[in-house]
Order: sequence, then C-alpha cells, then structure tokens
Amino acid sequence: MNIPGKKLLLRNEMMLVAAILILSIVINIKSPGFYSFSTLFDLCRASYVQLIFGLGVLIVIISGGIDVSFPMVGIFSAYTTITIMDKLHFSQNGIIIPILMAIVIGVILGGFNAFAIAVLGIPTLIATLGTAGIIRGLMLAGVGSRLIQDLPNGLDHLATSTLIQIRNSGGTLSRLHLLIIPISILVLALGWILRRTIFGRSIYALGGGIESARRLGIPTKKLQVRIYLLVGGLAGLGGLMSVVLARQADPYSLAGSELDTIAAVVLGGASIAGGYGSVFGTVLGVFLIALIRDNLILLGISGSWERAAVGALLIIGIVTQAFIRKMKKRETQESHAEVQK
Amino acid sequence: MKQTFQNILKGQKKDGSQSQLFILTIVIFSAFSILKPHVFFTLLNIKSMGFQIPEIAILGMAVMLSMITGGIDLSIVSIANITGLTTAFMITQHPASTGMSLNLWIAFSMFIGLLLGLLCGVVNGFLIATVNVAPILATLGTNTLFNGLTVGIRNGESISRLPKQYVRIGNGTFLGIPMPLILLLIISILVGIYLNRTGLGLKTYLVGANRSVARYSGIEDKRILRITYLGSAFLAAIAGLIISARVASASPDYGADYVLLSIVIVVLGGVSPTGGFGKVTGVIMATSILQIILTGFNDLSFSQFFYLICQGLVLITVIGLNISRSKNPQKISTYVRLRRN
Repeated sequence: MNIPGKKLLLRNEMMLVAAILILSIVINIKSPGFYSFSTLFDLCRASYVQLIFGLGVLIVIISGGIDVSFPMVGIFSAYTTITIMDKLHFSQNGIIIPILMAIVIGVILGGFNAFAIAVLGIPTLIATLGTAGIIRGLMLAGVGSRLIQDLPNGLDHLATSTLIQIRNSGGTLSRLHLLIIPISILVLALGWILRRTIFGRSIYALGGGIESARRLGIPTKKLQVRIYLLVGGLAGLGGLMSVVLARQADPYSLAGSELDTIAAVVLGGASIAGGYGSVFGTVLGVFLIALIRDNLILLGISGSWERAAVGALLIIGIVTQAFIRKMKKRETQESHAEVQK
Repeated sequence: MKQTFQNILKGQKKDGSQSQLFILTIVIFSAFSILKPHVFFTLLNIKSMGFQIPEIAILGMAVMLSMITGGIDLSIVSIANITGLTTAFMITQHPASTGMSLNLWIAFSMFIGLLLGLLCGVVNGFLIATVNVAPILATLGTNTLFNGLTVGIRNGESISRLPKQYVRIGNGTFLGIPMPLILLLIISILVGIYLNRTGLGLKTYLVGANRSVARYSGIEDKRILRITYLGSAFLAAIAGLIISARVASASPDYGADYVLLSIVIVVLGGVSPTGGFGKVTGVIMATSILQIILTGFNDLSFSQFFYLICQGLVLITVIGLNISRSKNPQKISTYVRLRRN
C-alpha cells in the first residue's frame, strides 16, 4: 500500500486546494467570466480582516487553547485609536502612528488574557470569554458607543489605496488593494516564525501537551504570556484594518464574528486539540469561505442559503479530517505491526 | 427549616462551590434590595426576573449536559431558533378550513418543532460519537449549518403576530407564578432526576470523568454521548419555544450572544469544563445571580455596559478562586466515590 505522493495528497492543504479549484470550476461553468482579476481582487479584499484575525486564532489553537476575545480586542483597539486621534487632532495624515497605537493597545489587552491564563491558570475558553465581556464593556462604557464616520485623513486614504489597476474589457476597473503587500509579509513572517524559530516550535510543543512541554524545558507560563501578547497585537491590527476597510469605526461591529473565524481556521486544518496547524492552511480556509460567501449567487443559490452552505462545507471538512486522521492512525499501526514481524 | 439548614451545612462540606454560589446569590439580592428597596424589592420586579431567567437557565442546562461528558454544545441557540421559527411558521399557517381547532394545531406545531430540534441533536450525536469529531468542532459546524438553515427557510425574515394561546406560554401566569418559571421548575426536576437517580445519569458523569476508564468498565460511551447530545438539543428546543412565546415572534438571529452567556453561566455554576462534574442547582443559581445583577444595575440606572464588565469580572474571579482553592485533581474521583456510597 505504498503509493508515491500519497502523504502529500492526504495533506489537508491539498484537500482545500482541490475544493477551491473544483468550486471555482463549477462557478465558472455556471457563470462564464468568473476567472478574472476582478474576482480575485474582490476575494482578496474580502479576506484581509478575517485572515489577520485567523492568524491570531491559529497561533492560539496550535498552542492548545481557544480565544473568543479577539474581535473585542480588535474593535476596542481600533475604536480607541480612532477616538484618540480624533480628540488630539494630531498626525492626521500619518498611518504609522495609528497602526502602531492599535497594535500597542491590542498587546495591552492581550496582557489581560495572558494574566488570566498564565498567572491565574484559568482555562483559555473561559478566560477569554470573561475578558471579552470586560473589554467590550470597558469600550462601550468608557471610550464611547457612537459611530465615528470620519476617519483621520491618512487612514481614509489608505482605504482607497490601490496597488494595481487593471482595465477590464467591459471598461470597469479592477483594483488590487495596497494592503495585499503588508498582509502577505505578515503571513510569510508568521509562517517563518512558526516553522523556523524556537518560539514557533515551542508553540507546537505546548499544544502537544503542557506537561510534556514543561519537561522539555520550555518555560510554559512565559510562553503563554508571549503568545497572548502577540495575538493581542494581531487582533489590534486586524481591528484597525476592519475599521479602515469599512471606512467607519462602529463599536458594535465584529461582535459575534469569533466563531466564524475559528471555523475558517479549523477548516484550514488546525487541530482544536492543539499541536497541529499551518499558516498556509489558514490562508486557504479563509479564502475558501470567502469564495463561498461571495459567489453563491453565481451558482444559482439564493443568498439567504449562504450560511447553510458554509455550515455544510464546514461539516464536510471536519468529517474528512476525521477520516484522514483515522486512516493515518491505521497506517502507523500497520507499519508498527510490520516492524514487529 | 432546621433540616434544610443542616443540609446546606452538609452540602458545604461536600461541595464548597454550591454553597458559595448560594451565599453569593443572597448577598447580591440583599445588596440590591437595600440599595433600591422601592424599585428592586418589589413583586413586579421579581416577577419580571421570573420571566427572564428560565430560557437562559434551560439553555445553560443544555450546555451543562454536554459539559458533564467533557464536551460542549455550541449549537444550542441555533437549535432553539430553528425550533422557535419552525413552530411559529407552522402556527401562522393554521388551516382554518379543515376545522382543526387552533389549540390542537399549536400543540401539533410545537411537536414538529421539538422533533426538528431532536433531529439536530441526532446530527450532533452522530458527528461526535460515530465520526468521533471533537464536540467543540462538531457543534461549531452544526451551529453554522442550523443557523443557516433557519435563515434559508424564511429568507432571514422573522415571524410575528402569533396567536394569544401560544404567547401565553411565555407571558402568562399560573397562580401568580410566571409560566416559564413553572416550566423551568418541571424541567430542572426532570434533569435532576435523570442525572442523580438513573443509571444513564451516573454513566454520563463517569464518561465525563474518564472516558477510557468508563469504556473499559463496560459503559457504552458512544451511546451515552448520543443520548447526551440528544438531551441537550431537546432542552435547547424547549428554550426555543419559550423564547418565541415570550417575545411573541421568532427570528433566526435571536439571542446570538446566548451561546457565550450560557457557557459563562454553566462554568459559574460550578460545572467542570473538563467533564465529570455539574449540578442543576448550580446552573439555576448562576443564572439568577447574573439576572439579579442585570436587573439591579437597571434599577440603579447603571449602563448595561457595566453589566458586561461585571459579568466578565465575576466569571474570572469565581473561576480563579476555585482553581487556586482546589488544586487537587482528586476532586472528580472523590465525587464519583461519594455517589457510589
């Protein structure tokens, strides 16, 4: 039973690539002209925010935890940043200062999570549930609950910045958003950190089991603190990007999106039990969900069934992963049996 | 009276968290009663709490059942909504021409709604027990699917103008006691009997305490899991009926934040997230505590955002205290031993 390349074929990423290809071919048959730059660019734009959040969720899931506070961290950081910029009237045109400010606020809020998880030892789901409520309450009661429609000029300008413009045959313009560059860099950097650095490998080890990680000599508490600070920073960035792309700061937005993002990451092959997951898989998971969400109408399915389709796909993905895991397990058992012979 | 007092004292020795909750409930209730005697400590106010507590408490019990087996059910609100919406839709389609009485038709609609809820439970049980998917994942997927189906059925529209006979289930009183509260009482007694006085209940705890040990002791762990998720879905479906009757309408998006709220309640109520431990009384007291805080804050005309902060703080404090107080992993086995004697 040794088919060359079987291992590669059974990888979760390959399944996702296949799913994306098949789905896009079907859509293209139903509505020719689907394969175009404008579709691709739109899909990218629709994925940016969820991708940034997804990367944070991925890191937490690999480490064996679960985070439901990231949308609150994100919108708190973004809303507070915009409010401060508004009040102080400074650096209207800069974009570096607000981005840094949002990241720093995110890191501070991530510190709440780090404290509850690493210091108090509360299970991650419960700790982040608690901090999510506290952070949301603090924002709405302390910072403000009003919709801010005029963003600082710099950020507003960023919302419409384009990297490439392509004139279609129809005369319409397809725009690839400038954000593709920083986000690609972020994706590559996190992929590198997770695969190549001691910090990244320790995260996988922690997900394999806290006790075994400790026996390996990994300072688990310190590592958890670092993870939740990093994830807080990512959430802050993601929140600011969502505000920039929406071109308004709505303190009530993002609430309730946590389960969707976790679903995308899980579809991307991250194991909720910890220890497994890749950046590439997360990118594909987010992309696949965006593809379905935005193009179901082209398949002749009414838009109101979009959520059901995403749910069905998610279940198919989860079940496939379960079967692959079973097959792999059987294979290892067989090879063990052969060795013993 | 003396007997109950002694029981409470005895309970304190057996299980600190229950009496701790009991004391907390009384302290909070008295505090608000003293602060606002003419607004908070009135029959009207207490009655209104009696209308609001049941639906969340029943959802909490649904989560508790799954958590006792060491899992979690994130799909409860979707199941509640799919039941509520289907029932409401069927009621509005009453075929007056056939001469079937409205009351009978309402009962029939509720039956169909509950059946649909049970079907959702079968799907959850199949994924978790047969396919062997992690409960948090399986129900994350089915949550999206069930919610999507609910949106799809009616194009995301809500249904209102329900007949008086149905609305009475959620708004009527019997001997001055709110109907939902009576339903809650009946359901909690039934769930309590199931967990404490039947073989299935004991097996549920044992599967949660240690699944492999339970399996090697001859307990059909998969069957127990299937029954548990069926029970959890049934409770969620009942909550869905109560919700739609109380607000006299049904919508696919109702109570999106109830998922996380019911987890907060269950964990606050002393149910162990790792399984093997949980009591009905704990869940009801935890619901009451949160509701008293919410109503009390309203009466003190605090912003509802303070309630969010408070909810998070209470959760983290109580869990933090529990963890630091009982750092012995013996707790679960002690509990099982106590029950055997």
